[in-house]
Amino acid sequence: MQPEHPVRLVVRDDLERRRLTVFFRLLLAIPHFVWIFLWSIAVFFASIANWVATLVRGTPAQGLHRFMCAYVRYGAHLGAYIGLVANPYPAFTGEEGGYPIDVRLPEPTEQGRWSVFFRFFIALPALLLTSATGGGGPRFNYGLGGGRKSYSGGAESGGLLVACGFLGWFASLAHGRMPKGLRDAGAYSVGYSAQATAYLLLVTDRYPNADPTAMLADVDRPPEHPVRLVGDPHDLRRSRVTVFFRLLLTIPHIVWLTLWGVAFVLALIANWVVTLFRGTPAHPLHRFSCAYLRQRLHVLAFLTLTTNPFPGFVGEMGRYPLDLELPEPARQNRWKTGFRILLAVPALVVSSALSGALFWCAVLTWFYALARGSATWGLRNLAAYALRYDAQVNAYVALVTEAYPHASPLEGAPTPQHEFADTT
Amino acid sequence: MTRRLAFLAAAAAAWGAAAWFLWQTTVVPSSLHLPHVDQHAFFTDAQIHAASSFSRVEDLLFWGTTLLQIAALAAFARWGVRWSRESAAGPIGTGMLLGMLGFALVWVVQLPLEVVGLWWQRHHHLSRVSYPSFLFGDWFALAGEFVFLCFALAIVMGLARRFRDTWWISAAPAFIGLALLFAFVSPYLITTHRLQNASLQTIASQLEKKEGVGHVPIEVEDIHDVTSLPNSEAAGLGPSRRVIIFDTMLDGRFTTGELKVVIGHELGHLARHHIWKDVGWYALFAFPGLFLVAQATKLRGGLREPAAVPLALLAIVVLQLLALPLQNAISRHMEAEADWMSLRTTRDPKDAIQLFRRFVPTTLDEPDPSTFDYLMLEDHPTIVQRIAMAEAWRRYATSAAQSP
Repeated sequence: MQPEHPVRLVVRDDLERRRLTVFFRLLLAIPHFVWIFLWSIAVFFASIANWVATLVRGTPAQGLHRFMCAYVRYGAHLGAYIGLVANPYPAFTGEEGGYPIDVRLPEPTEQGRWSVFFRFFIALPALLLTSATGGGGPRFNYGLGGGRKSYSGGAESGGLLVACGFLGWFASLAHGRMPKGLRDAGAYSVGYSAQATAYLLLVTDRYPNADPTAMLADVDRPPEHPVRLVGDPHDLRRSRVTVFFRLLLTIPHIVWLTLWGVAFVLALIANWVVTLFRGTPAHPLHRFSCAYLRQRLHVLAFLTLTTNPFPGFVGEMGRYPLDLELPEPARQNRWKTGFRILLAVPALVVSSALSGALFWCAVLTWFYALARGSATWGLRNLAAYALRYDAQVNAYVALVTEAYPHASPLEGAPTPQHEFADTT
Repeated sequence: MTRRLAFLAAAAAAWGAAAWFLWQTTVVPSSLHLPHVDQHAFFTDAQIHAASSFSRVEDLLFWGTTLLQIAALAAFARWGVRWSRESAAGPIGTGMLLGMLGFALVWVVQLPLEVVGLWWQRHHHLSRVSYPSFLFGDWFALAGEFVFLCFALAIVMGLARRFRDTWWISAAPAFIGLALLFAFVSPYLITTHRLQNASLQTIASQLEKKEGVGHVPIEVEDIHDVTSLPNSEAAGLGPSRRVIIFDTMLDGRFTTGELKVVIGHELGHLARHHIWKDVGWYALFAFPGLFLVAQATKLRGGLREPAAVPLALLAIVVLQLLALPLQNAISRHMEAEADWMSLRTTRDPKDAIQLFRRFVPTTLDEPDPSTFDYLMLEDHPTIVQRIAMAEAWRRYATSAAQSP
């Protein structure tokens, strides 16, 4: 849809993790925390100088640009290390090409002076989204103490990256390997934060692209999940009137979904008992759950402006531009059924982290769509990723499928890709 | 055609008879003659002027918002159908979307005047609502309206799809049932607390006995942070019956004697079953009202089609406006009876007059509004009429006592 972003994420990670360094990861990163703190102070002053220079010359100064690039890269390396997106201990210099999770940055180019002058304000939406996705970006924090603004460096992490790192820590300790879904999600967070930081620090004048598919274009897609989104993703038109009143227009749906949700929980309990005894969910209860999950997706997609049309009330398949394909009832492992809620906890953690990103996608799209009458491709795809994961988690909890939710932002591939070809 | 006209004539006659009987259930003595009351005898020129200038702007705002509402809905009826392409919800869901959008547009066009209205009330120290609270509160109120609207449209459109043009016959009982349900539950939707004042409790118990209403809880609604306006109401049916008094009536501006009149008035509503009668009147209006909506929406294929919803909204608002004088007359009729009940049980016209006099400086209600305002806006007897009734009761009681 768009030309390639000049700030490109490069993923060469093989998912292998050393248990010892994983176990002590945060402690091992302490020197980096100190270093990035100092570096961030320097960057703060350098960024002001760079801003003035770029305003005057129209192009960032070569030396300052290199300094900023190294900082952005270092932030990405450190974010990847802390979030277990990569295994090796990163260097302190932010050099290109030496780390499995890296960013390629552009040479200094001419930038519009108005855009440079208002860069901080223009970058705010991207920084807000960074706070939800996490990664190695700069952040402006408001402490509880006195509302004092502080500038801090790339070591801080936000929702999604923290969730992936936290869960990945247990998984890597157990298996010596980072789950691909969590790695991909973490890599996306790191990449987006790098783009946002690069934009803020005048490394590029291209706005960060929130599209996970574009960010991870070179990464192998995971296997196809039985719960997946279908429909037309390319309709970005948004009606300004329905956008303006979106929250209010959704309220009847929310009321309806809440009432339906009560019945859904009762059906879920019944289905759980049936599946435990029979090994297969009851057909009518399965259908009921599927309709509820579909309805939930439609309503959330409408509410978060991921789609444009007003949804129906019955969760019917094939009537909404963003729909949910769900599997037929199949035999399920009784142990996994018995402990389903406990097993779902990690997925719920990721889903909760993604809901923050979804919230900001909705808020930002609201403003954008009111102004332009359309949604952005990047935010739309990020929201679709969050919705897809939410649907997979709910389908897993609701015993619609036994397949564990896949946290990768990438859509599953119908045929195994390179990374999975060996294991099947 | 002749049969249709005959049927309509019979239905109109039946409606008229039912309305007449219902009207007759609410009475003040036919021998009662209200004396002429000169407002200048009870209010200073300054009070009359203040009330008059306040009401003039309030009236302008009312008519402004009403006209804007009709204009917005007329435009929406003309062009609103285009928004049906923003729906993937099927006919009923699309109808709901169009209905909500119609309400939303009305909200938007009315908002500036509503804000002016708030400013006007704040300027006269009648409202204590901040502008942000007003906007957010209005937003949430709109959300509540949306839920109700969707529910109503689901009923109406569902029935219209099933019964086509005769949907209104089955829809009217459904809405009457909802009105009954709402009348029953409405007291539970308001946060109140028991009246703490022991002497008022005692007075209320005596009045309950005199009016024969059984035990009715007297509740207080804390509203002083929203408004300074004094008010009270009788609400509920059967076990949910209660009298609710705004705490602004208990802030020392009104004497115990005046509050006794207020409680007597509200108990009078319950004693004379006014809430049941309200539902009865609603039922009487529901059938012809929905019939007319059904006729109007035939232009767009009837209410089974979502395209008819914008037109239905316009029709409802216009019908409500046309029915307003009649509804106000009915309301005034029942309020007059409640006043009469209060005078009968408290036997205190002096405090009643004092209470009505106090309403003018505290509410800035005009004591004697113009006929047009009276017909279109007044759902209570005017203050002058209420004072006149108290005077009439004084004479009525005196003559009754003197008669052998």
